[in-house]
This record gives sequence, structure tokens and C-alpha cells, in this order.
Amino acid sequence: MHLVVNGVEEEIRSDALTSLLRVLREELHITSPKAGCEQGGCGACTVLVDGEPRRACLTPLAAVEGSEITTLEGLSDGVNLAPIQQAFYDKYASQCGFCSPGMMMASTALLTSTPGASREQIMEALEGHICRCTGYVKIIDAVESVANGSAGAASNGAVAQGGSR
Amino acid sequence: MKHRGRGLAAIEYPTGMNQGGDPSQAWVKIKPDGRVDVFAGTVDLGQGSKTVHTQIVADTLGVPYETVNMDVSNTDSSPLCTGTFASRGTFIGGLAVLKAAKKAKEKMLEIAGQAMEIAPADLDVEDGVVFVKGSPDKKMTVGEVSAAATWGFGELITGTGAHLKAYSMPDPDTGVCDPDHAISYAACVVDVEVDDETGTVTVLSMVQAYDVGHAINPTLVEGQIEGGAMMGLGLGLLEASYPHYPSTEGRGGEFGAYLMPGLPDFPEITSVIVENPSADGPFGAKAIGEMANNAQGPAICAAIHDAVGVWVPQQPATPERVLRALHAKATGAGEPRRDGKTVIFDEDVSVMTLADESSVFRDVIGV
Amino acid sequence: MKAVGARLPRYDGLAHVTGRTQYVADWSAPGMLACKGLRSPHHSARIVSIDTSRAEAHPGVRGVVTCKDIPKNVVGHLEALGVPADEPYFADGEVRYKGQLIAGVAAIDEATATAALDLIDVVYEERTPFLDIRKAFDPDAPKITEKGNVFFYDPYDHRKVTKGDVDAAFEKADVIVKGSYRPSAIEQAPIEPQGCLVVPESDGRLTVYTCTQAMYFTMGVLAEHLQRTPGSLKLVGGTVGGGFGGKVDSASEPCAALLALKTRKPVRWIFTREEEMLCGSVRASWHVEMADAISKDGWLLGRKVLTLHDAGAYTRFSSYGATKHSFHLAGAYTVPALRTRAYVVWSNHVPTTAMRGFGVTSASFAIEMQMTRGAHVLGMDPWEYRLKNANRPGDLMPTRKVLEDPSTIDTIQACAKAVGHPLSATYAEMKNEGRSGEWLPDHLRDQAADAKLGDPQGAAR
Repeated sequence: MHLVVNGVEEEIRSDALTSLLRVLREELHITSPKAGCEQGGCGACTVLVDGEPRRACLTPLAAVEGSEITTLEGLSDGVNLAPIQQAFYDKYASQCGFCSPGMMMASTALLTSTPGASREQIMEALEGHICRCTGYVKIIDAVESVANGSAGAASNGAVAQGGSR
Repeated sequence: MKHRGRGLAAIEYPTGMNQGGDPSQAWVKIKPDGRVDVFAGTVDLGQGSKTVHTQIVADTLGVPYETVNMDVSNTDSSPLCTGTFASRGTFIGGLAVLKAAKKAKEKMLEIAGQAMEIAPADLDVEDGVVFVKGSPDKKMTVGEVSAAATWGFGELITGTGAHLKAYSMPDPDTGVCDPDHAISYAACVVDVEVDDETGTVTVLSMVQAYDVGHAINPTLVEGQIEGGAMMGLGLGLLEASYPHYPSTEGRGGEFGAYLMPGLPDFPEITSVIVENPSADGPFGAKAIGEMANNAQGPAICAAIHDAVGVWVPQQPATPERVLRALHAKATGAGEPRRDGKTVIFDEDVSVMTLADESSVFRDVIGV
Repeated sequence: MKAVGARLPRYDGLAHVTGRTQYVADWSAPGMLACKGLRSPHHSARIVSIDTSRAEAHPGVRGVVTCKDIPKNVVGHLEALGVPADEPYFADGEVRYKGQLIAGVAAIDEATATAALDLIDVVYEERTPFLDIRKAFDPDAPKITEKGNVFFYDPYDHRKVTKGDVDAAFEKADVIVKGSYRPSAIEQAPIEPQGCLVVPESDGRLTVYTCTQAMYFTMGVLAEHLQRTPGSLKLVGGTVGGGFGGKVDSASEPCAALLALKTRKPVRWIFTREEEMLCGSVRASWHVEMADAISKDGWLLGRKVLTLHDAGAYTRFSSYGATKHSFHLAGAYTVPALRTRAYVVWSNHVPTTAMRGFGVTSASFAIEMQMTRGAHVLGMDPWEYRLKNANRPGDLMPTRKVLEDPSTIDTIQACAKAVGHPLSATYAEMKNEGRSGEWLPDHLRDQAADAKLGDPQGAAR
């Protein structure tokens, strides 16, 4: 089977019924989509399939054969952050960060289809995503800042000297 | 019909593991180019300890925040931290990194003093520059000092720190004990709307004020207040590992079966940070992490009573429980029993009514 | 520029928003095996026999471990603080909760490991579970341990706080308000499930990639179970996808480590969400009965509390939690007379552990319900009832610790201002200062002397 993942053609060896989440994480070592529940209940595994947000944990490989898959790794050009990433950074929309990739991918899909999305539309789009840390306040603020154009410009990726260890 | 109500709760919470005996340690070294490496053990669960500790080190050492590396990644390089719980990360973990940074600063000024031929007591550090007090044009950068240490004096600029509150055993009869450091406080006001036909309680707004002593990073404090608000909403209205406790029936094994607070439940959340500094916390800080979900539940129950006149002395206040309380009220069965000056609520669940060996408990709670 | 007090960006912010933050499940090692755990389907049962031979023979299975394989099965989390160890890591002879770990399997992939669990033959003799902790002393209740269902806080079977003269307070009171409060067990439910990856290194050490909230704590517990030196273990972590108290129990590391040692291969065990919810430890259920003695002008004169804490099948941190609870039963208020007794009761529920607010969450729920009810019964504004009894600098906590910088008054006044709640002048202008004048009634005059009073009924109860 083959997929196009973040613009790269990939020949996939996993079984046809393997979840897209496991294909990404375990075969391709793309780890931003997270296994929060593998029951479709939390949204942490959300990726874009041909631009549409999908729960990768519930999506068998066979169902997306040949599709274009976009993960968080594919949003940035490697130097500059995408606007949604910059907004999450600036608005402190991540605490532990585990739900963040799914939140950002779902938000990206919304903002692509509905560029000036209202606060209500944002909340509806993210209704199926659970965050246990932030209380959602700064997540909604971040997405709203991109939707209403008040977010800071995407900047050089080296906005902070710190990094994960 | 829908009814609105408001409820208040005020709480307090200690800092550090109860009864003490929970050390945190840290060590700091400065690279030859002046970058600072901190090795601490406080695990970051998302609350932001890496950030807060870096801020503490930056100001204690006098270097820019961006020049500090915070490494909590493994137990070979990091010394001991008892753990991230009991609201000890900012206070106890913070004191450990602060003390380590202070020691490193002393060493740095000692080296700078040698290099500049000035007594260390006449030197200070700010924004990565060591300067002579009163003559700030006489200076060396931290990088130059560290290079001098490395290549000139054969020294390493480092500092270690640790904080431990001695373990305190309580008196078994009285409970006399010295169990903790500073005490944090909070108050929470909740506005709800109760549907008296479905029992559904909707939280419209939460206003919360937290005394955190001193907010090392105010945005991270807000993060705890906001996160705690939703978790508290969950405790108050939604979450139950045993929905029919003490029965084990109906346990939810997935999100959706176990109800988590989400955007459909999202109220208006307003946060106020109060600063009543602690005597001995780092920069006067107290704590917030653990207490952040304690006030909302009882505030919601108070608001339910304000709205529809019933008490739900359980968590969560599910629609079923609210409806049962409304039904009891309608039939007159919901009133507490009055016995002289004593007003007794919730007799149906009390051990005085239920437990066979209630004499053991009667001495304790008989009224 | 000062860093402290500034809204500086998160240290790990860039890593989080680019998806580069590495959590425990993002680590992998060549030749890594998958671990799954066999768990009890019964709340309470004797184990008659365990036969792992069919599982061990299954193609793709590389190792199976049970209680007979672990060098030290019973290790107490708080043994160093005098809390007796009572919990076997692998069930040995009995199971005390549904979900209790009985065996671990390491296999070439998760599907194989899961299939192998069905090939472990366990024969059980079911027993009646004990589930209602209010019946802790009921002679007919099933016994969790030979000695009964209640933890022993030497020399009593409960944690006591006794301060001042509670009987006099209740005698003097104009109103007594009593309620029974039952906050629920809940899940910590961080979005990241717990787990670990254990890698045997060429120098004989084990590297343990873990999402524990407490690296050295887990190191110590693991070293004890394996009967190795702590120095032979290297824990890697420090970056966790939410914890809230649910990642302190070191639940996965011993099994994965044993299998790593047995197979000489890296072994990864990440809990499923179902495992997290149904088998992982929870916040305790509590039963708190509280009686407040109140004067007609709204002074809280004294309080009696009976607390029953559902520890679940084993103690873990429950004795600590119930002690912490006890120390905070006055809440944000100054209560000069207290008689509180907290019982830690074992049951056949899942063992309970730390969860945000540990012990004090249940105290706060009961206290605040009592304060709201007390104000209601008195006909007093619930804000002013709280402010009247608020902690002030110099007041004593239940432990007789002196409060230096309490903020009941500041935080309630801040909320009143934020929502526009009208306080009468006395309370709107109230200052957060030590007691004097109208804020120093007779019954609070001698708090220091109260500290010297023990239990007027003597040591018996």
C-alpha cells in the first residue's frame, strides 16, 4: 500500500487493517499523532486525510490507500512555524502538549474551510477533543487569534533557545 | 423550567509533601561560553516547572532566560527530586534550583573578582554581565568570566543546592505536627443554571481568585487556574469511577463512558491572581497545582441550592441526583431533621443509620 | 530584565507546538518486545493455580512472568516512612480487586502478547467482595486482611486531631449543623496513558524510559522489586503528558523490567485507555460526616468529623492522604475546637492513590458544603459567614501550626469585587490582619493555650 505523508511518497509494509495511527507512529516513526485512547474518544490522534480531519486511531490503512496525509510535522516548513503553531506558542495553548498536535490539526482543517471562523465555530470544531490540562481557555484563544487575524506573524522557528530533552 | 443560582467556596492548601521529609536537589554549571546548564529532578507534567525553574535560575544568577538550559531528563545527570506532586515543584524544587544558582553566582563572582582584581563583594551580575557596583562600565560578560575560569584559572563554575523540610511525626492523640511550608488560598464563585425537568446543571461562569504568594510566571498560574476550573467542573458534575458507588456496576472504560469535561461544558472563566507572599518560598511564591480543582465542586453545589433549593451532598451532582433531590423536596421529604438545636442533613446515608457497629462511630459523630 | 514575574514563553513551548516533545511512547529500541498484563476478572478470589505453560509455548511469545519470578514482590511505597508494605506487585495466592495484575507477557507484538494472555490458565475460587466502607467494623463483613478492614495508625486504628474542648463548644452552640458528604472516586485521566520502555544495556544496567511523576521514587521502588542497586537503573523521563497523581504508583516498570531481564530485549508496556480507567488507581471515594457547632451570631465554635476513606484493596498512599485530609478539616477558617477521626478502610475496589488535591479535596467539599448550609440555617449571608470565621495571621491550624500569611479574606474579597457581590461595610472593609477588637472573641482569645490541651476524654478514643 502507499500513502503520501507530509508530501513524501511512502511505500507502507503494515497490514491493511493496521490503524493509520500505528502506521504513522510505528512504521514511519512520525510521532506527533498521539495514542491517547485508541478508541476515538480524545482526538489526540487527529491527522488530515486529503485535508479532512480524521481520527487516525480509528482509520484502517486500507481506507486511506493512496491518500495525502498531513501531520503536525508537515505544517511547518522546517524553518518557520505555521500560524496555528505560532499562535499555540504565543498563547500558551499547550501545557503537557499531548493533546496539542490533534488540536492543531483539527484547527488547521477548520481554518482552511472557514478562514474567519467564529469562537462558536471553533468550539464546535474542537468539541470532540479532550484536554485535561489547560481547561481549553488558551486553546480557544489561540485558534481565535488566527481566525480573526490578531495572531502574531509566523516567525523564524528559533523563537526560543530552549527545547525538549 | 430553568433557574439560576450562585455559589461560593473558599479553600486552602499546603505546600510540599504532608509531614515533610521530601527533598529536592539541583546543580548548576556554566559552560566556557557562559551558557548555564541546570540539572534538576522536577518532572514537568505540563504545569511548567521547567519554565519556572529556569526563570528562578536566570534571576538568581543574573543571566538572560534564553541562556539557561534546564535538564530534568534522567537520573544519571540529575540529582534527586522526590517528585511532582503535593504542590512542591515551584516551592521546594524552586528552592533547590535557587540555592544551586546562588552558589554558582558566588563562585562566578569569586572568579570574576580574581580576573578583575576586585573584591567579589563589590561585584554583581545582571543580564549576563558581571559589573562593579557603582561603576557599571567596569565589567565582564558571564561568558568572559567562564572562559577565564576554564582557560585561565583551571576552575569550573558550579553550584549545588537542596531543600528539605524535616519529617514531622504527628502526635497520635492531638495531631500536633509541623507538616508543611506555606499555605495557599483560593475562592471560587460559580453561576449555574439548573433545569428542574431534566436535573441538568449548566455552569455559566466561574470566577476564581488564587493567592499564589508570588506568581513566578503569571500566564502559567492562569493555566493552572483554568485547567483546575474545568477539572473541578468535572468532579462537581460529571466524573465518577463508580457511578453507583459502592457498587462496581457501570464503570466506564473509555472517554464518553467516563464523562470528561469538554468544550460543550465550557463556562466563562475569570481568573484573579492574589499575591500574599510566603515567608520562605522562592521569591515569595506559594503553590497552586493541586488545589486548583478543589473549590469548584462545593461552589456548584452551593449554586444548585441557590437556584432550586436542594442540597446534593455528593460529587458528581448528576442530573439524576438533582432530580431525586427535587422530587424529595416536592414531597416534603428533603428537609433535614431537627432535634432541638441540631439540624441533621443526609441521614439516609449516615453511618449512624446504616452501619451495624455504629457505636464505634457514635462517639465520634454523635450529635 | 527580570524573569521572575514575567510572562515568559514556555521553556518547552517550541517543542510542543512542533510535535517534537518526546513522551514515553515516542521512544523505541531495536528488537523491542511488547508487554501485556493479565488481570483479575474478579473483585475478590483465592487463586488456586496459575499455569503459564501454554502462553510460554505460543509462537512469538518471548517471556512470561508471575509472582514467582519477581525477586521481591511486596514493596511498600511509603515503607521508609513507616507504612507497612501490604501489596504484592503480582497477585500471589489471591486477588483483591478486579484488574489486579497476575502475570506479564512479552511478545514480538501487541497482538501476540494479548492473544497469549488468554493462554494463561488461572483457577479462581471467588469470594464475596467487601464494598461498603461504612460497614468497616461490621462483624459479618468480608475481611480484606486477617486483621480486618481498617489500617492501623499506631497506636490507634484512625488518624486523630483533637484540639480545644469540643464538648464545651457543642454545649455552648446555639445551632449544630450536621451533614454527610460523599465525593466520588475519579480518574486522573491524563491524555497520555502511563507506561514505560525498559532497555537492558551492555554494561548490565537497565535504562527505564518512564512517564513517572517521580523519577527517584520509581527508581527506589523498582530497585527494591528487582533487588538491584538503584545505581544500576537509569531512569529517563521528566517530560510527561499530564499526571495529576496517576503516574506515581510505578505500575508498569517492574513487570517490563523483569521481562527485559528475562528476555534480554527491550520491553515496552504502555497501558491501554481501558486499563487506565478500569485497572489503574483512582482518587479515593470518601465518606465525611461533619458536625459544626455555631453561635447564633455566626461564630464557628467547634467541629466534629468522622471520615471514612476507601483505600481500595491496598494501602498505597492512603494513610498519607487521610492524614493530610485530617490536618485540613478546619479549611480556610479558624475553628478552635476540633475532634476529627479518619479511618482508612480497605475494600475490594481498585487501590486508590494520589489525585490532584489529595485528601484535601474531600475535606474542602465537606467543609464548604457545611459553611453554605451553616449560613443558610443561620439566615446569614454565606460570604459574610465565611469572612467572619476566616483565618487571620497568627491563627492556629488543626496541627497548631501558626498561620503567617493566610488569604481567606483577600481571596473572598477579590471574588466579591469581581462579581459585584455586595458585602456589608464591616466585611467589605475587613482587613487581613491579626486578631483584635471585634475579631477577637473570647473563644478565640486563648488559641495558644488550646494547643496545649490534649484529648479531654483521654487516650482511649
